[in-house]
Amino acid sequence: MNEKLALSDEILLSISKPERYIGGEVNSAVKDLSDIKIRFAFCFPDVYEIGMSHLGIQILYGLFNEYEDVWCERVFSPWSDMDSIMRENDIPLFALESQDPIKGFDFLGFTLQYEMCYTNILQVLDLSGVAIYSKDRTWDDPIVIGGGPCSYNPEPIADFFDLFYIGEGETKYRELFDLYEKAKYEGLSREEFLFQCSQINGIYVPSLYDISYKEDGTIKAITPVREGVPSVVKKELCLDLTNAYYPMKPVMPFIRVTQDRVVMEVMRGCIRGCRFCQAGQLYRPLRERDVKKLKEYAITLLKNTGYEEISLSSLSTSDYTGLNELLEFLIDYCNEHKVNISLPSLRIDAFSLDVMSKVQDVKKSSLTFAPEAGSQRMRNVINKGLTEEDILRGAHEAFVGGWNKVKLYFMLGLPGETPEDIEGIGDIANKIAVEYFETVPKEKRNGRTIEIVASTSFFVPKPFTPFQWASMNTKEEFLDKASITRKGIMAQLNQKHIKYNWHEADASMLEGILARGDRKLSTVIYNVYKRGCIFDAWSEHFKNDIWLEEMEKASLDPMFYVKRERTKDEILPWDMIDCGVSKEFLWREWENSKKGVVSPNCRQSCMGCGGANYGVGICFQPKTGVN
Amino acid sequence: MVKLRLKFSKYGPIRFLGHLDVMRYVQKAIRRAEIDIKYSEGYSPHQILSFAQPLSVGSTTDGDYMDMTVLSCKSPEAVMDSLNNAMNEGIVITAISELPEKSVNAMTSVAAAEYVISFRDGKVPEFNLESTFRSFMEQNEILATKKTKNGEKEINIKPLIYDYEILPGNQIHVLVSAGSSSNLKASLLTESLFSFAGEEMKPFAAVYHRLETYLSGNDEKGYFIQPMIPQKIPALSFAATKSSSQGKLYV
Repeated sequence: MNEKLALSDEILLSISKPERYIGGEVNSAVKDLSDIKIRFAFCFPDVYEIGMSHLGIQILYGLFNEYEDVWCERVFSPWSDMDSIMRENDIPLFALESQDPIKGFDFLGFTLQYEMCYTNILQVLDLSGVAIYSKDRTWDDPIVIGGGPCSYNPEPIADFFDLFYIGEGETKYRELFDLYEKAKYEGLSREEFLFQCSQINGIYVPSLYDISYKEDGTIKAITPVREGVPSVVKKELCLDLTNAYYPMKPVMPFIRVTQDRVVMEVMRGCIRGCRFCQAGQLYRPLRERDVKKLKEYAITLLKNTGYEEISLSSLSTSDYTGLNELLEFLIDYCNEHKVNISLPSLRIDAFSLDVMSKVQDVKKSSLTFAPEAGSQRMRNVINKGLTEEDILRGAHEAFVGGWNKVKLYFMLGLPGETPEDIEGIGDIANKIAVEYFETVPKEKRNGRTIEIVASTSFFVPKPFTPFQWASMNTKEEFLDKASITRKGIMAQLNQKHIKYNWHEADASMLEGILARGDRKLSTVIYNVYKRGCIFDAWSEHFKNDIWLEEMEKASLDPMFYVKRERTKDEILPWDMIDCGVSKEFLWREWENSKKGVVSPNCRQSCMGCGGANYGVGICFQPKTGVN
Repeated sequence: MVKLRLKFSKYGPIRFLGHLDVMRYVQKAIRRAEIDIKYSEGYSPHQILSFAQPLSVGSTTDGDYMDMTVLSCKSPEAVMDSLNNAMNEGIVITAISELPEKSVNAMTSVAAAEYVISFRDGKVPEFNLESTFRSFMEQNEILATKKTKNGEKEINIKPLIYDYEILPGNQIHVLVSAGSSSNLKASLLTESLFSFAGEEMKPFAAVYHRLETYLSGNDEKGYFIQPMIPQKIPALSFAATKSSSQGKLYV
């Protein structure tokens, strides 16, 4: 363990959770600097407990540290108490493993998981003493690179980054590192290095593109500024997931983090094609990991970590073809070794209920359904293939099995939504309650009764989804809809068994602005940061007024980004990125949604999204043909 | 089934772990080491493992203890070695002994703890430690304000201080009462000393190192305290310098 600490005892004893800043966790990588050519600081721009729960950081951290010439270390956003202390005492931000300042690193990489972390990126750059704007950086600064879902529309933060990595990280980093070492050896200018990076597939260099605007504020043209710069950057994809690197010795936090368990990714991508879902498009085509390999992984991971729980991760675990075999194996192994199995994102049916009754305490656990919309009409619009019948049948079987707690997730503000669609939320919750009373006779309830929690979030249209052209609701519309939902639930016969939660609308508005934003927003992000905005994803830190004021000062209208429906011919800010799914396909799906036409999933038949161009995965498996 | 008592040291950055996090860390290490530990019955079984006396965040130790029950093991030493191999630097098991089956649990049997208190650079007391501590101890009563759940309470801590000496380099070596019935936190002792000397204590001035943890017992000579594993006593400890048999101190 590294005995050196960047912070004094006095500081560590006066802040909350000093364990966030000391490094030294089991399986963290400590290397001898004399062997190292590239020092990579990998940042999740949020608090330690959130960042350490992210699988992607564990994969790339492990992969980079397999390279003998690379030392990858971690860095997270210092929490607000620490942020103030670092500013007051001029303490530069440091990486956890070596406790060395970030400024001296070769790369500073950010994983961009949600839009509300953007001011935290500026916090990390600023506390590190790295120039905030890419144009102001020299070879004394690290190369600042971003990746993850938000890098598919990196434009609002494009000015702060030297590079973006578009796609899955397993494929191109080695090439990038080799290029960096060569550039350093040959004494290339930083500018020339960045240009050469643009020649690597999947690397987007924002400074090499000029964006011009029309008078109405939409984009006129996206133009590469130098010959040889690709006009479109194509997503990188891991072609052989089964044989790809997977971290067998994940770093184990000392403190309890959000994801405090072994996480095993069973597949990547999703066959479902829900029209609101960005991940469902970005990770196409669906690729599975071999079930035999996953069994070995489970044993090794549990042995190497000592965790008491394992979780299967994917966008829709019920669609994994080896699930039956994998779960049978895990139930046996985990019972013997006193390990819990956690099963998020399982569809509720006879099979999953049987599995859950074996691994969970039925009395304590709750069932989760995500109908996403209150009416069948609306579920067809969003292509969510879950019917009321499915839900009631699942609930019935669950009640027979002894469950009595149900969670329901919905979205408000979906395109074309009517009051009737919203009223359906109360209706379906009530029907579930009725189903309970009809299924479980009074004498079998043992003093228990049905408890339903319905939650709604506000729909935010995302790039690279069929709804990327859609109008988003305003704050007032959202709050009206939440009120209709509440009244609809209150009007139900069984309303006292139904609890209703809804999200804050201000944060959803900002998320909507940033998600489909353009480069003009970078000034706003810079200015709100300078006025003290960080941790916008945390409601206690989110300062909506400052954002609105700075939007106004920059003469930018939130409604331009949020409310405006885009036309087919509009150049979208992210049009220089190719996520593997064609714009034509997305437009077809947008039209289908307006007609309420349901599209088949990838296992039933191919919709020709473009994902097949990668030559792997579900696209090359036989189709069932049924819709 | 074997009951084991393990003695451990904790030093370096790991001293900033809270007590519950140390426990979680050890629980996972036990699983990595594949020690055949006994689990409780019930829906969420937990390891039969208990820690003797929590140590405050930031402090180091050479004399902390935990008890565990294992269903089988090659030898206590094999358990110690495999556990040490499964942990990072910072926490080291230094001794292990088998307990009689009917022994009391480590958590409830602690009677005393021994500390070396030193001061950070620039925060050493201005008063003379040797003479001040002597007159501090010569008081009939040493009144200290203890913070409890229900506010503040004034208590006499004199009977809770069993022994002391001043070591070179402005260090205080003390043996104080500990455990559930009458616990004296080392920090309360330091604070009362400063207040007795009329000097304001700078924030985070003192550094606490636990040297040893003691159990109590009775024999023909009366009430005594004794290190929880009497075979491996630190040379500096009063149990090593002042005891005639097996670290027993009659206090």
